[in-house]
Amino acid sequence: MVYPGIEAINVFGGTAYLDVMELAKHRNLNTARFENLLMKEKAVALPYEDPITFGVNAAKPIIDSLSEAEKNRIELLITCSESGIDFGKSISTYIHHYLGLNRNCRLFEIKQACYSGTAGLQMAVNFILSQTSPGARALIIATDISRFLIAEGGDALSEDWSYSEPSAGAGGVALLVGEQPLVFHVDVGANGYYGYEVMDTCRPAPDSEAGDADLSLMSYLDCCEQTFLEYKNRVPGVHYKDTFQYLAFHTPFGGMVKGAHRTMMRKLLKAKSDEIEIDFTQRVKPGMTYCQRVGNIMGATVLLSLASTIDHGYFDTPKRVGCFSYGSGCCSEFYSGIVTAQGQERQRKFRIEQHLNERYRLSLGEYETLFTDNGTVRFGTRNARLDFQLIPGVFASSSGKQRLYLEEISEFHRKYRWIS
Amino acid sequence: MNKQEVFEVVVRTTREVLPDLEEHNFTFNDRLVDLGADSVDRAEIISMVLENLSLSIPRVELTSVKNIGELTEALYAKLQSA
Repeated sequence: MVYPGIEAINVFGGTAYLDVMELAKHRNLNTARFENLLMKEKAVALPYEDPITFGVNAAKPIIDSLSEAEKNRIELLITCSESGIDFGKSISTYIHHYLGLNRNCRLFEIKQACYSGTAGLQMAVNFILSQTSPGARALIIATDISRFLIAEGGDALSEDWSYSEPSAGAGGVALLVGEQPLVFHVDVGANGYYGYEVMDTCRPAPDSEAGDADLSLMSYLDCCEQTFLEYKNRVPGVHYKDTFQYLAFHTPFGGMVKGAHRTMMRKLLKAKSDEIEIDFTQRVKPGMTYCQRVGNIMGATVLLSLASTIDHGYFDTPKRVGCFSYGSGCCSEFYSGIVTAQGQERQRKFRIEQHLNERYRLSLGEYETLFTDNGTVRFGTRNARLDFQLIPGVFASSSGKQRLYLEEISEFHRKYRWIS
Repeated sequence: MNKQEVFEVVVRTTREVLPDLEEHNFTFNDRLVDLGADSVDRAEIISMVLENLSLSIPRVELTSVKNIGELTEALYAKLQSA
C-alpha cells in the first residue's frame, strides 16, 4: 500500500509588501467596510520578480533540504499558474533549470484560475498512487502574481471590483509530493469536485483582470456547498464539524472566507452566531494568518492557507484538515488530509513566518513608482534589462538570503541571477 | 406563498444581516448596494433568503437581478417551478 501526500511545503510571500489599510485610505475606500474584509498586508511583485522567481524562491529551500539522490528522484514538475509568461513555453522549464533538477523529469504547466494548485497536487497524488515509477517524487509549484492593471471599460465591472487591488497579492507555494507524507497525509479518494461554466472572474487580455464580484462570490458559495456534499457522498459518516479539526479555504480575502464558513455552518449544522464565531476562531483562523499577509495568490492561495494551518494549528494528536479550493470559471474541490506534530516540526524549519516578517515594507510612494516608471515587464516583452536598484532599500532587507531575480530579457529569453 | 410574502422574507432577512435597516421603509426599487450591503453581505442575504424559503437552487441564478423587486420576482418564479 502506498501512502501519498506532502513531504514538505514552502512559501515565498514576496520580497516587499504593502499595508493595505494605507492603500485603502489612499484610494478613498470606505474604511469601515474595508475592516470587514479582514485584509492586512499584500505582497507586491517588484519589476524584477515574476512567476518564475516566486516559484524558484519558494522551492529552493525544499530542494536544498534534499540529498542529491533524493533530488534526482523528482520526476514530475508541474507549475500551476494563471500568470503565464508565454503561450507555449511553460514556466516549469525555467524553474527546472534554476533548481538544477534531473532531466528525466516531466515539465509542464496547468491553468484553471485559483484551482490550479489543487489540480497540480491531485495530479501528483495520482502519479504517486499509480506506482508507474516507484519511489519517484513530484514537485508542484503554484505561483501567481498580479500587476492589477484592471481591464478598462465595460459595464459589468461592479464597484466592488475596486476592492480587488488591495486583495491581489503575489506569491509562490512549493509542494514536494511523495510516498513519505510527513507533512500532509492525503485521504485517498476523499475528494468532492464540482465544476461548470461561469464567467465570474478572468484574465481576458495580457496583464489585466476583469470580473463580477457578486457572481464570483455566489459561485464560490455554491461550490463550497456542492464540493462538501459530494465529498460526503463518497466518504461515509462525515460531519462538517467533527470530522475536520481545521479548515483551509481558498482565501481571496478574509471576509469572504468568514462569510462562507458562516453560511456552511448555518446551513449544514443550523449553528447559531456565537457558536459559528468560536468555530471560526478555532478551525479557520489558523489558516488565514499567512493569507492576510500575502494577499490573494490565486492558484497558490489554498496551499498558503494549508501551510498557515500547519504552522499555527495545535497538533497534540493527529488532526484532519479539510481544504476547499475554488477557481473561477469554474472548478472547485473539497479534500482532506492528516497533519501531525512531527509534520509541523518539519515545516517550522522553513521559518515561513520569519521570512514574511523580514520583507521590505513599501511606502505608498514607492508602490506607485513601480507602475509609473515603466518598470513593469508586460506580457510579450522582447528585450529588457531590469534595475535591481529601483527601490534601494529592498536589497538591504533581503541581504544574506539566497534569492533569484529577473535580470534581463533577451529576444524573449528570460535570464535570472541569484543574489544573496 | 404570494409575492408580497416573498418580499417580506427578503426584507426580514436583509434586516437580520443589516440591523441598521430596522426602521427603513423597503420598496421594490431599493438596491441592496445602496442600502449599505457589501458583496459579502449581499451573498449572505441571498443564502439566507434561499434557506428561509426552503429553495434549493444555485445562488448564481440570482446574480442578474438589479433591485429587491427583481429579486422578489425571481424568487417567486423559482418557487412556482420548485
